[in-house]
Amino acid sequence: MSVTPGPAFHRRGSLLRTLQEEQARLKMRLQELQELKRGLRDSPQDKVPFPVPEVPLVFRGHIKEDMEGPKSLVSNLQISYPLSGGSALVIFDDPKVAKQVLRQKEHQIQMEECRLRVQVQPVELPVVTAIQVTDRVSSQMSSQRVLVSGFPAKLKLSEEELLDKVELFFGKTKNGGGDVETRELLHGGVMLGFAEEEVAQNLCRIGQFTVPLGGRQFPLKVSPYMSGEIQKAEIKFQPVPQAVLVLNIPDVLDGPELQDVLQVHFQKPTRGGGEVETLTAVPPGEQCLAVFTTESS
Amino acid sequence: MAFGGEEIDEVMKEYLKDEEFTKDEQKQKLIEKILEENIYLTMEIQKLETELQEPTGSSQIKEDIPETKMKFTSLENPEDDSRFSNISCSFQVSSRVPYELQKGEALITFEDEEVAQNVIRMEKHHVNIMDIGVEVMAKPVPLNSGVRFQVSVEVSKMKVNVTEIPGELPENQMRDKIELSFSKSRNGGGEVECVEYDKQAGSAVITFVETGVADRILKKKDYPLYINQDCHRVVVSPYIETHLKKFQVFSGISKRTVLLTGLEDLYMMDEEIVGDSVNIHFQRPKNGGGEVDMFKCCLNEICVAYFQE
Repeated sequence: MSVTPGPAFHRRGSLLRTLQEEQARLKMRLQELQELKRGLRDSPQDKVPFPVPEVPLVFRGHIKEDMEGPKSLVSNLQISYPLSGGSALVIFDDPKVAKQVLRQKEHQIQMEECRLRVQVQPVELPVVTAIQVTDRVSSQMSSQRVLVSGFPAKLKLSEEELLDKVELFFGKTKNGGGDVETRELLHGGVMLGFAEEEVAQNLCRIGQFTVPLGGRQFPLKVSPYMSGEIQKAEIKFQPVPQAVLVLNIPDVLDGPELQDVLQVHFQKPTRGGGEVETLTAVPPGEQCLAVFTTESS
Repeated sequence: MAFGGEEIDEVMKEYLKDEEFTKDEQKQKLIEKILEENIYLTMEIQKLETELQEPTGSSQIKEDIPETKMKFTSLENPEDDSRFSNISCSFQVSSRVPYELQKGEALITFEDEEVAQNVIRMEKHHVNIMDIGVEVMAKPVPLNSGVRFQVSVEVSKMKVNVTEIPGELPENQMRDKIELSFSKSRNGGGEVECVEYDKQAGSAVITFVETGVADRILKKKDYPLYINQDCHRVVVSPYIETHLKKFQVFSGISKRTVLLTGLEDLYMMDEEIVGDSVNIHFQRPKNGGGEVDMFKCCLNEICVAYFQE
């Protein structure tokens, strides 16, 4: 819209008046929209249509500007890496030493009477670099699964005990339940998956139950369970900077001896080695898991 | 509706024709100011109108996870043999629920839940900021829902994914050819347990009897597949399964963080000074406050604050 000066404008003072009136109109419209937005915020639209457990959240100072990284919290990252018989895991103090050792694919370990030929390679761990997960609110609800909620805060039951008691109760047809196929303990609730859809639907219809848990009766709620699915998970292989995997170690030495021989070899700076933080040798016929976690934990 | 620079000039030009008007410089300046303000208001209105049109979708987490350094922690000797068939990775994800702080609002996190709830119960707080008395209102923070879940990733040490398998042979015959080629130890293969072959997709999953074969084959990106006299190079990649566990939608509720409103009129003041005054006010037990963990106040521009467990 362009402003073409009309007859009103030629009168001194009336442009000012017109503009002031315009501003009053604009201010009112802005206020209208701001109130609408506030209203939407105070009763958030994306609140799910079913009762879901409440999780207490806290503001710890993170705001949008200084968050370049992910907006979700990733925690408890743990990777289990199998070590097979005839291999060893060497963790060096200095990643540069590990890099140096890895330059040679084959190492000759000098012993008194002979030499052991072994191979080395980096330890590559699978890490998730991107993930996309959606809930199935809009598409199909998982109709065989229900969420049991309303558990009191301080129950003196272990995870297993609680799951057992809940499954026992809702597994009985006389309680309105049926055959339970899956169960999972969630934060503030238990997910139960039934063999029959009708059982799940029936339980949701009834809604409220009095369930015996650890000697007392508690009122629990049953509602449909909203399941999720992974749309995309991008995985990359990342080497552990200080780690070296030694493979195809010939079966000539006992456990403790092998450990010593390897340690001596990899600590010799003349052979490109250096200070070793830990060394785990796995004798042939045995196996174990090496557990890796994040540096900060 | 948009006010362009040229349109303002047009209006001004019309004005300047009016000689009487040009003498009245003050009025001219006032008109310019109002015109500018109107343009700003129009832009704000447009922004809000577009924003309010956006539909709200279902909960979704879409993240790029930054690289984290992993370190060796411990050894495990599980009874369950199957745990040696995969490299397993597991982690937990939980959404940080955003809350948009408007101008004139502040968030205050108390160490003690009781204190926070009391501050909310009191509703009105009279705060002294630089000798100005301000009525600050305390409310609970309305939060949206979030999701939490666990992800487990299993990279098989016994299986490999094969793709770009040509479709020239009937299904059963090709399956045999695949098994034969992948059994050849001279090419890095080993004894095959079973082959799942999808002729249409040109792909297969091969399970070997022993661990170590998969690793060997995956050292290269391709592998020779012999069909009669020809050798095709098929693409090999790790066989990875991802699982979602303990998926849960939750409703965020803020017990320790309180929303403070009523600071809109102080936008001319230094945000830090206002923030400090309010913060200090709520640290004093005599004002109903207590130990404060975190404080953020927003005077000049909207900011998005994240809530987490």
